[in-house]
Amino acid sequence: MSSSTTSGQGQGDEAPDLVCVVDCVHGMVDALSCVRWNKHQGAVVELSEHGIVVTVEESGCLQAKVYLKTELFAEYDHGAEGRPRFGLSLGLLIDCLNMFTVPGFASPVEIRYPGPDMQLLLRSVGSPDACIHAEIRTRIPDTVAWDYHFEHAGNTPVTFTVKSAILKESIDDLEWPGSSIQIQFHPDPPSVIFKGEGHGDLEIEFSYYANTDLLIAFQCDQELSYRYKYKFLRATTSNVPSSVLKENRGSKVTIGRGGMLKIQHLVSVARLGTQSYHNFAGGAQQPSRIAFIEFFVKPEEDD
Amino acid sequence: MELSMSGGALRTFSRCVTCLARIGSDLVFQAYPDKLELHTLNSSRSAFASVSLTRDFFDHFHLPADAYADAAPSSTPLQCSVLLKSVLAVLRTPTSAIDRLNASLPNPQASKLEFVIHCVSGRKKTHRISCSAESDVQTLALDRNGFPSRLAIRPRDLTRLLSNFQSSLQELTVIATEPAARLPGVDDGTGGKAVELLSYIDPTKDDYDSRLHTQLWIDPAEEFLEYEHAGDPVDVTFGVKELKAFLTFCEGCEVDILLFYQKAGEPVLLAPRFGFDDGSSSNFDVTLVLATMLVSQLNDGSVPQQPPTSAHHAEEPRAAAAAPSPVPENVSNHTRIWSELSGLTPKSFEANAENRAQKERNGRANVLNDTSVLPNTNAPCKLPVTYNANYIEQPVQMDHLEEPPG
Repeated sequence: MSSSTTSGQGQGDEAPDLVCVVDCVHGMVDALSCVRWNKHQGAVVELSEHGIVVTVEESGCLQAKVYLKTELFAEYDHGAEGRPRFGLSLGLLIDCLNMFTVPGFASPVEIRYPGPDMQLLLRSVGSPDACIHAEIRTRIPDTVAWDYHFEHAGNTPVTFTVKSAILKESIDDLEWPGSSIQIQFHPDPPSVIFKGEGHGDLEIEFSYYANTDLLIAFQCDQELSYRYKYKFLRATTSNVPSSVLKENRGSKVTIGRGGMLKIQHLVSVARLGTQSYHNFAGGAQQPSRIAFIEFFVKPEEDD
Repeated sequence: MELSMSGGALRTFSRCVTCLARIGSDLVFQAYPDKLELHTLNSSRSAFASVSLTRDFFDHFHLPADAYADAAPSSTPLQCSVLLKSVLAVLRTPTSAIDRLNASLPNPQASKLEFVIHCVSGRKKTHRISCSAESDVQTLALDRNGFPSRLAIRPRDLTRLLSNFQSSLQELTVIATEPAARLPGVDDGTGGKAVELLSYIDPTKDDYDSRLHTQLWIDPAEEFLEYEHAGDPVDVTFGVKELKAFLTFCEGCEVDILLFYQKAGEPVLLAPRFGFDDGSSSNFDVTLVLATMLVSQLNDGSVPQQPPTSAHHAEEPRAAAAAPSPVPENVSNHTRIWSELSGLTPKSFEANAENRAQKERNGRANVLNDTSVLPNTNAPCKLPVTYNANYIEQPVQMDHLEEPPG
């Protein structure tokens, strides 16, 4: 059975909105798992000619987006007008994709939307002998996904970049005081401070001059300080896949206007054995197969 | 008070805190001009652990001068009390990732003790822990020279001996006798088992019958680095949990363990044995004082807490299958091990004698333990437990203990 590339294979006369083939399923699972901080989460999936965007949200305070650009797919055929959107269970999608990752048997997966009943169709391709077939029910998204219009705080962005492993470790350490974490940016001397106060206080300082490897990038022209709920902050790093930590990738933390916190990670979706490197510090490298993950956290209101 | 430590001292400090955290829940800091002391007392007040760190232990050690109006070393120390749990949270960062650790208490009335960790990665973590108002600080100082008896043992040897006991054992009895005192005419194969380790199980507890009772006879010359005991046999019974905490500490610091004892009811003292030949001394010391049971196990003249023959239960496959005492691989010929899963409540000797006779008439039952190291004979013995009469030497041993020496 050859892999299906042509559109027009759908039921009826209409071409499907999207037919794409993923050849590195576990990488896709890694990228999607990054935004899975609860067992049961609803996601909104948007299909465009540039790729797929999966958006997850909680309590109006925390939003995460996974950008899967067309370069990540072996094939990508977008046939719809506009950008179809639908909702489905993120956990279900991840668990379903996991079924296709049989150890030792890397089978590409074809994803097709919509099925006859607006469901998402998945099937393994590339093997003449067997086929795994799945379909996931979708629903109309209840509300328009809240677009966190992220604007920079001032003329220049207030941001720093640090190794993802160190960011994750620091946020894990802040579990001890817990509750509410304050993030402060100081332009002079250049530093970022994470501070938590509870039954004990903990302050973690990232000082630009402490160690040349610590802050990979730092930009700040004004003093800024906002508080965020610990559990939302925790969600931004708790499920960072181990590949990110092993590959020594950096995560970028930015505070925008109004205190909106943006945290960005890079997850490789490369086929095993393929080199792929891209970093926030700039510089183009080989064509990258990277999924971009973005978290937005609303600050706590000051009383 | 301000102090700073790094490297090996930091690792030792971390081990001290871990050890103290296994004993008590509150940590008392007392800063003197020449040293820092850390104490903890367990909730049942049966264990008191104390760590003493001299000035030299630290990279930097500073006390405000005005805290010591008379500047006498014995003047009231600067002190504060914090939860050990909180200090453990500070030390969660692996010591390998720490460049140096600073601790400071700005003034005696300060409400928070501050720890600053300078990480190798460049991060700086500042912990501030609330101090509780501890007006009544208990300390206990025992002079180790005041103890008539002592023994020294390597941590790994003690671990090996303790491994013969049920891991959930709560209390241990150590019976010490004079090493030279032997019965005349005794086959020298028994010689030298001057020390006995016994599991102590509370006889009033319901699960007494189902617990594993273990006794070890030890030749001090074989197992201990030092052994000093003169006079009557003494026994001391103390908690195992605290002993194991101290054992882990000594293992980590690679020092041997000293145990000072006197008699039942008097506390025992444990301390590290620093083997300094060049006259220098260590810049840290740890002592653990454990209360011992008032009731001596030797008083009743028979083998202490001797569970009776398990003749009845020996035939039950359940009991037989449930006797898991493992034989250490490198057990020496000088250390005898005997373990049994008792199935009956303690009875008198005479009642057991009948069981014994019955047993022998029925032939050998399944051995409940695995005394593969013992010779297999059928000598009559005076032990209440006789299910297999495998011990030729032990009866003699027991005789020795039953008779008042001298």
